[in-house]
Amino acid sequence: MAEITTLHYLVVAAALFLTGVIGVLTRRNVIIILMSIELILNAVNLNLVAFSRLYNLHGQVFAIFIIADAAAEAAIALGILIAFFRNKETVNMDEVDLLKW
Amino acid sequence: MNAASLNPMILTLVTFLPALGAVLLMLFPRRARDIRWFALGISIATFVLSLHLPWHFVNGHPGFQFQVDRQWITTPNIHYHIGVDGISLWLVVLTTFLTPFCVLISWKSVNDRVKEFFILLLLLETAMIGVFIALDLFLFYFFWEATLIPMALIIGMFGHERRIYAAVKFFLYTMVASVFMLIAIIWLYAHTGSFDFVVIQGMLASGQLVIPAHIAQWLFLGFFIAFAVKVPLFPLHTWLPDAHVEAPAAGSVLLAGVLLKMGTYGLLRFNLGLFPELARRNAPWIIVLAIIGIIYGALVAMVQPNLKKLIAYSSVSHLGFVVLGIFSFTQAGLNGAMFIMLSHGVTTGALFLLAGMLYERRHTYDITEYGGLATPMPIYASFFLIITLASIGLPLLNGFIGEYLVLTGSFQARARWGILAASGVIWSACYMLWLYQRVFYGEVKREVNNTLADVNARERTCLWPLAAAALIMGVLPMVWLRPVEPAVSRVLAFSTAQVQSAAPSTMSNVNAAAPVAAPVAAAVPTHTEQENGR
Amino acid sequence: MIPSGDYIRILPEIVLSIFGMLVMVIDPLLGENDDRKSIGVVSAIGALLALGATFIMAGHPGEAFYNILRVDDFAVFFHVVVILIALACILMSFEYLKVQEIRQGEYYGLILFGTVGMCLMSSAIELVMLFVAIEISSISTYILAGFRRRAAESAESSLKYFLLGSFATAFFLYGIALMYGATGSTNVDAIAAALRQGTPVMAYLAIALMMVGLGFKVAAAPFQVWTPDVYEGAPAPVVALMSTGPKAAAFAVLLRVLFGTAAPGWFWAVWIAAALSMTIGNFGALVQTNVKRMLAYSSIAHAGYLLVAFIAVRNMEQGVSAAMFYTAAYAAMNVGAFAVVSHFASAGEKYVSIEDYAGLGRRSPVLAAVLTVFLLSLIGIPITGGFFAKFYVFRAAVSSNLIWLTVIGLVNSAIGSYYYLRLLVMMYMKEPQSEESVPSVPFAAGFAMAGCVVATLYLGVFPNRVLQFAIESARTLVH
Repeated sequence: MAEITTLHYLVVAAALFLTGVIGVLTRRNVIIILMSIELILNAVNLNLVAFSRLYNLHGQVFAIFIIADAAAEAAIALGILIAFFRNKETVNMDEVDLLKW
Repeated sequence: MNAASLNPMILTLVTFLPALGAVLLMLFPRRARDIRWFALGISIATFVLSLHLPWHFVNGHPGFQFQVDRQWITTPNIHYHIGVDGISLWLVVLTTFLTPFCVLISWKSVNDRVKEFFILLLLLETAMIGVFIALDLFLFYFFWEATLIPMALIIGMFGHERRIYAAVKFFLYTMVASVFMLIAIIWLYAHTGSFDFVVIQGMLASGQLVIPAHIAQWLFLGFFIAFAVKVPLFPLHTWLPDAHVEAPAAGSVLLAGVLLKMGTYGLLRFNLGLFPELARRNAPWIIVLAIIGIIYGALVAMVQPNLKKLIAYSSVSHLGFVVLGIFSFTQAGLNGAMFIMLSHGVTTGALFLLAGMLYERRHTYDITEYGGLATPMPIYASFFLIITLASIGLPLLNGFIGEYLVLTGSFQARARWGILAASGVIWSACYMLWLYQRVFYGEVKREVNNTLADVNARERTCLWPLAAAALIMGVLPMVWLRPVEPAVSRVLAFSTAQVQSAAPSTMSNVNAAAPVAAPVAAAVPTHTEQENGR
Repeated sequence: MIPSGDYIRILPEIVLSIFGMLVMVIDPLLGENDDRKSIGVVSAIGALLALGATFIMAGHPGEAFYNILRVDDFAVFFHVVVILIALACILMSFEYLKVQEIRQGEYYGLILFGTVGMCLMSSAIELVMLFVAIEISSISTYILAGFRRRAAESAESSLKYFLLGSFATAFFLYGIALMYGATGSTNVDAIAAALRQGTPVMAYLAIALMMVGLGFKVAAAPFQVWTPDVYEGAPAPVVALMSTGPKAAAFAVLLRVLFGTAAPGWFWAVWIAAALSMTIGNFGALVQTNVKRMLAYSSIAHAGYLLVAFIAVRNMEQGVSAAMFYTAAYAAMNVGAFAVVSHFASAGEKYVSIEDYAGLGRRSPVLAAVLTVFLLSLIGIPITGGFFAKFYVFRAAVSSNLIWLTVIGLVNSAIGSYYYLRLLVMMYMKEPQSEESVPSVPFAAGFAMAGCVVATLYLGVFPNRVLQFAIESARTLVH
């Protein structure tokens, strides 16, 4: 069986990144958009850890920071979403229309 | 104390005294009467101070006098460099001379927001004087832009019905045009490391700075557009009638009397001073525009039903003469241009004051509303007549000298131009006399006009000095021309020298420029021939 | 063992954090109906102390915490700018919160924490630190944007800001990851050293992605779409903060990343972004009827002018110092303008349309005069900071032979003068529509406005000292 090289990780990460970007741009449900952003962050993590194999531990440390930050962002996101839901009773981006895009 | 010891600070004093007055006015309580008297006091004090300038001015000295040169900002290298020469001397005095009348004419007609009005007026005076004395390009631009805001606000806040449209149009025209000047100024700075007019001029003259021909043309145009809008040169004049018609009387007086001169002053000082060679090369089409302006302005003035619009278009015509004189590159033409700038300031200023007085009484500028006013207002009518004749260019009054000189100059340069321009003089007699006839002679058509009061003491205070000035300038032109002449010949000499020296140097330095330089070199002898031939 | 000198190099951040926490602690201790103004006073004191701490910090330049931070003149400059912005926003919030009936202490805490993030952004030289700093500042502003909880616009603004902001951060992170892959380091200096050896393709990709991320943060076209919506919905003092503070900090990051890492290949990208931002910003602003939206578009345009300075590559020192001066001048005038807007907005942000400003010159001459100063500065009229800011930027551009960009920029600024002028026309040349008297300006907000006026005029009349300082710090940055 072929060895798994750094390149393989990078391809997977790029695929995740693209999935995330497409998700953000095409999905209308705020929760799914949030999840897509998380996907991008995970792609970043994967990249960092993969590169970490080549160089030093910095990449892995960075990944840990990103995980922590993702948690913080998720908390804020849900808070904002609840505030929004109270006002508008929806989580659909199409109905976020008070302000012109 | 010796009065001459004032010399180093006199310009700073004259320039910033009105601004100081404006700052003090801000602290004044809102009592209209006190504010008016205070503004009048400040403007008269400024005028008196400014008389120091011609008094101590050394005639026959072509350079700048009363200079102050202090570093203001180190990076970029900006100096507070001010000074006057014969060209700017009288323009400063003209500005300070007209401002008190603007205060007087606004005495009754501005009742609302009096404090704001006089603050703006005094700030405007500082900015206008600043434009004429600044010798640092940056400082010049600074004052140039600074005139914009108070004038736009005076028009927009205190004008007539369509004042907002007029104010915005005025602002945008000038703003957009001066952007091009800013680019040119920045370019010059980036390649010389100095904003100093004298330094840059020296560098250009000595060949230390050689600007590639195509860039020089753009720089010339950059300055030219900014000034042409202000002059205003046909076809960039469309803001002027609107601004004049909608502005309050004081605004019109300063707009016609001083602000338009800023444009011609800029042409003379910067376009001719920095790019003499290009000025000569571009002169033909500029002169065509000027002549179109002279004739077009006069013809359009003829059919105006609105008194102020008529005077506004007559300004387009008169300023065309100034541009013609400047670009004729003859001593007579330039002297005449300078003289028209002054006399137009006095006569058109006076005309707008007179129009303002009429408006105060009847609240209309419509010429058909009047007629036969000579009966109820004889003194007013006689003042109007003097100014009308001055404006037409009757000998012994100030309009004559300038037009005569400009026409002489343009005949020297090229007879065709002179003939076309001379027709403008005839037209101006037509529309002014016809105006006078429609307003003052005949039957009193409207009943209200019979009850109109003649000029009161305050208004007479405005009119006497202006009428006297029109007469004195006409009788004793040399008093005014003596300081002007050396400065003008310096510009002229500089431009001739520049053209002669530039032609070989550009050819040897820049090969690409050679085809362009050749016609210039060819143009020089033709010009001298013409001068010899007369 | 971390040397104690390192703590001095983050002294302003420490002070801000302590006061931020203090505010959070005091808030629940106060009774339900107590005036929350005391919290504001405490946080204003915190900001002032942080300003003092910055001067102490300035005396100890150097790296700290194993090379993740560097205190140099550049960092000090942005610390001062950001902290002053925060101070002004805190001062103008006293009255605003009362009028809008927002009674939360966390508001001030978040401003202080956000400021910590912005400060760190300007001194971070390690991408991990940079990322954390960006997140601290962003998360605080996400929440602040939604602080008028009962207003649907505010919640919506917050949501939009959050979604696009975190999306942009994700791009930025992906760029960092690739940069790490390309160079094997996350330290700005080490990256610069590695890139000087040669530029792998991945590094170009990394720079592109990082620029997308930062482009969102500074609201440069084509990543500007969120700006008007977010600025319209967010509370006015918060807009004052987020249109200047995080922006200044993000520009600091851009300067550090682009110049500090000697990154390649961004010239045309920035050229286009600058031209687009100026044009879209100015033309967008022309048709706005809401003052906050108009100022939002104007901030896009100003980001464009600022980007012009970035590509004055032939004379980097001039370009960088011009950009720094611009951020300072923009901060002064824009914070000031929003201070007036937030004072005038009144309960529920009722008066934010341009028509509402009709006759302000009559109703409240002083307020109108103050706003006039800021508007003239935004137009770029002499004796205001905005003029010199533009002047320096375009001088740098002309020295680098960017004539076309200069022409685009200056023509744009002439077009731009129209919409500022529209507000001036409203204030001075139209008659008031409402008889309601404008509430007088309370001390704190007045102080903030006066401070901004003084700063705007100071930068316009004596720009020398600030510019000298910027030039010196640019030298340390570019070396």
